[in-house]
Amino acid sequence: MPAGLATYIIRRLLLLPVILLIVSFATFALGRYAPVDYVEIQAGPRAQPETIERIRDERGLNDPVPEQYMRYLGNVLTGDLGVSTRYQGFPVEDVIFPRMWISLQYNAVVLVLTFAIGLPLGTWAALRRGTWQDPLSIGVFLLFASVPVLISVPLLQWVFAVQLGVLPSGGWSEAEYLGVELGIFSKHAVLPVLALTLPGVAGIARYMRGQVLEVLDQDFVRTANAKGLKAGTVVTRHVARNALLPIVTILGFELSALIGGSIFIETLLGIPGIGLLAFESIGSRDYDTITAIVLVGSTIFVLTMLLIDIAYGFIDPRIRVEGSIS
Amino acid sequence: METRRLVLTLTSIFVVMIVVLGGLTVVLVAGGGGDGDDGPSAGDDGGDDDDNALGDRIEGELRLFGPDPITLDPACASDAGSAEYIVEIFSGLVSFDLDLNVIPDVAEDWEVSDDGTVYTFNLRSNVLFHDNSRPVTADDFKFSLERSLDPDTQSAVGEVYLDDLIGAAEFADGDADEVTGIRVIDPQTLELTIIEPSAVFIEKLTYPTAYVVDQREVGDATCFAGGGWTLTPNGTGPFKLEEWDLGRKIVLTANPRFHLEPAPSLERVTYILSGGSSFVMYENDEIDITGIGINNIESVRDPNGDLNADLHEGPSLDVFYIGFNTREAPFDDAKLRNALSLAIDREFLAQEFLLDLVEPAKGILPPGMDGYNEALADIPFDPETARGLLDEAGGPGVLDGATILTSGQGAAPSDILQAVLAMWEQELGVTVTIEQEDFGLFLRDIDEGSFEMFSLGWIADYPDPQNFLDIKLHSQSSNNEAGYSNPQVDALLDQADREADETARLELYQQAEELIVDDMPWAPLYHGKASYLVKPYVEGFVIPPFVIPNLRYVTINR
Repeated sequence: MPAGLATYIIRRLLLLPVILLIVSFATFALGRYAPVDYVEIQAGPRAQPETIERIRDERGLNDPVPEQYMRYLGNVLTGDLGVSTRYQGFPVEDVIFPRMWISLQYNAVVLVLTFAIGLPLGTWAALRRGTWQDPLSIGVFLLFASVPVLISVPLLQWVFAVQLGVLPSGGWSEAEYLGVELGIFSKHAVLPVLALTLPGVAGIARYMRGQVLEVLDQDFVRTANAKGLKAGTVVTRHVARNALLPIVTILGFELSALIGGSIFIETLLGIPGIGLLAFESIGSRDYDTITAIVLVGSTIFVLTMLLIDIAYGFIDPRIRVEGSIS
Repeated sequence: METRRLVLTLTSIFVVMIVVLGGLTVVLVAGGGGDGDDGPSAGDDGGDDDDNALGDRIEGELRLFGPDPITLDPACASDAGSAEYIVEIFSGLVSFDLDLNVIPDVAEDWEVSDDGTVYTFNLRSNVLFHDNSRPVTADDFKFSLERSLDPDTQSAVGEVYLDDLIGAAEFADGDADEVTGIRVIDPQTLELTIIEPSAVFIEKLTYPTAYVVDQREVGDATCFAGGGWTLTPNGTGPFKLEEWDLGRKIVLTANPRFHLEPAPSLERVTYILSGGSSFVMYENDEIDITGIGINNIESVRDPNGDLNADLHEGPSLDVFYIGFNTREAPFDDAKLRNALSLAIDREFLAQEFLLDLVEPAKGILPPGMDGYNEALADIPFDPETARGLLDEAGGPGVLDGATILTSGQGAAPSDILQAVLAMWEQELGVTVTIEQEDFGLFLRDIDEGSFEMFSLGWIADYPDPQNFLDIKLHSQSSNNEAGYSNPQVDALLDQADREADETARLELYQQAEELIVDDMPWAPLYHGKASYLVKPYVEGFVIPPFVIPNLRYVTINR
């Protein structure tokens, strides 16, 4: 590993705690200053106001917010992410990590599928420029991309669960494969994967098409063709590799969009993943869970971005990191 | 030439891709193993890869769609969604049967002293905790009841259901080491002493806060820490908790040693806690019972439909109403409140909007509850009188800028509420604006009285008029959001509380209800009905009007 790259990675990693500190404080403060707290919500209408106030006092919710935050921070630094109140009394990590695992499974498949369909489709469309196949192929996927999940999900449910009866209308189930609980091979995974992949393809394909068109016009492609390289080799070795670079950038954004999209998909399909948990946690003011989700999410995002930056160097030797990427 | 070959190569890559993907999808879809055909092949457990694929049946298993509980700790549960499981896993001194009678549970019987304040419970000797380690003793009850009241437990509802006990308030405030009203006479005898006689004390003991837990297991776990024990709770109820996968699944198995008749016949009850529409799950044969909402009721009622034979209906002890802030002008004027109430066409609401899924309300108490007054006159739809009353109250102008508070997550407010406002606009010429708030904020605002009108429902905790009239409309009750205060009503309610004779007591409540309806602090709209589908092979299932352990009465007959 070149020295420049190592310094770069270390510098970026050192920035991570700073980012997390800012993010955690913002989330923490937003929760605490929002009206109503979890004690009041869960106590329900029957509880006596004095009881609610007493519990609030004992749980430190009446202390100044900065003081509460320092206490929280101290706990987090000793590895204690706090306690869930949506699932009363359970440690936050017991609640969020199983849920994250579920979201991760189908989102990983969606990510792979989106690129696996989008990239060849975009390339193909570029090579078919000027024919009817070009607008039609991407146009079909563009249609999917234009339908919000709030409409596409009920539609998919209606077709596959109600009319055809081949898929469950929602939920999630897992089975053990080689000692690992996996749900992605169950048919519960089909609807979320479809609902997220279909609208994602068009964006990738259109972007790839543009890149390929640009690369096709380059001199080195003409040279490669001229010196008699096989067409397949030209595309894979020269065109694709050069067109892929900007695509890696969208990978990061695609990933964060998926995390956000999980909230809608999981709420609509009743998938007990991290998105549904986040949604419910906000409704029930489950402070520690919300903050933990945001913290873990930010960490994943920052690390992914770092990986992508590093990946640039391997795809395009011209961008070997010398601090040139900010 | 080159480009042609290139295109061909890419096209074939793409085609292969699609074929592979398509194939994968087909495999995945088919992978569920015959879920698609709904043949009632029992015990199809041959090598399926989904461990909770609900199309597969285990003999004696009931499959339900259930609410995702907040807690399974009896001391902490304040919501029906949690209580639904707790009442099956744990049990208390007494419980309700399906006819809403209080029946002995862990207690074999009990005596009440002549002055009505001392309850002596004789415990059964054959009630074991689920792990069969030891019988339940009076000591366990003292521990469990005190745990619900202990300030360290941080339960919001302990005091609500147990504050009749002498010394409960002092103990809950941390000023006493024990609740003096809970005495262990001997291992089989428990004595509870309450401050003053109460007809509903025994009913409050059916609530989870009075259930027995295994002190060796619970230790010092509170409502907000150490909740892990609820994954393997050592209860005494008709069912044992086999598995709780947070947010996903709850599996109960029968407690073969259960001490009441009938003992559970089901072997297993599987609850799915998340998923799409339970109606679709029912149609796809993934679950055995589902509630029915407004969207599906017509297709189910069609006598020629497949599902018509599965339809069941039952009462639900609740009331949905519009509450007025009676503390402040203009709603401190009963004429105005009555004008608004008389301008609501309840029949139309119930039939046209709610497709007869509800019963129009004529008072506060729901049909099916003791003390429900058949003779109470309907609240008529009478725009003429309404307009007259409104004029007497100052005319439509007094309602300028009036708002009604409702809870919601930003979606359109309920059709019902919009219909009511449309009726007011049409019949009285007043425009009321809907203000939507998230549920937590909504509860706070109505609690603090910062509203003009609000729409809400109330569901019975126990089947007694006290639970509606006293809790919601007594001027001294903290649950009286409308701020209603009528000394005559208060006097009747207090008198009813002390009345030992059941008939006389219910009569007092009926008198109070009549006065309340005249004052109209609420415009009661309707009472719900439970409408649900049950597969033909499930017998003995009823949805009780509030949370009651009901699974031990169910059998599967295939």
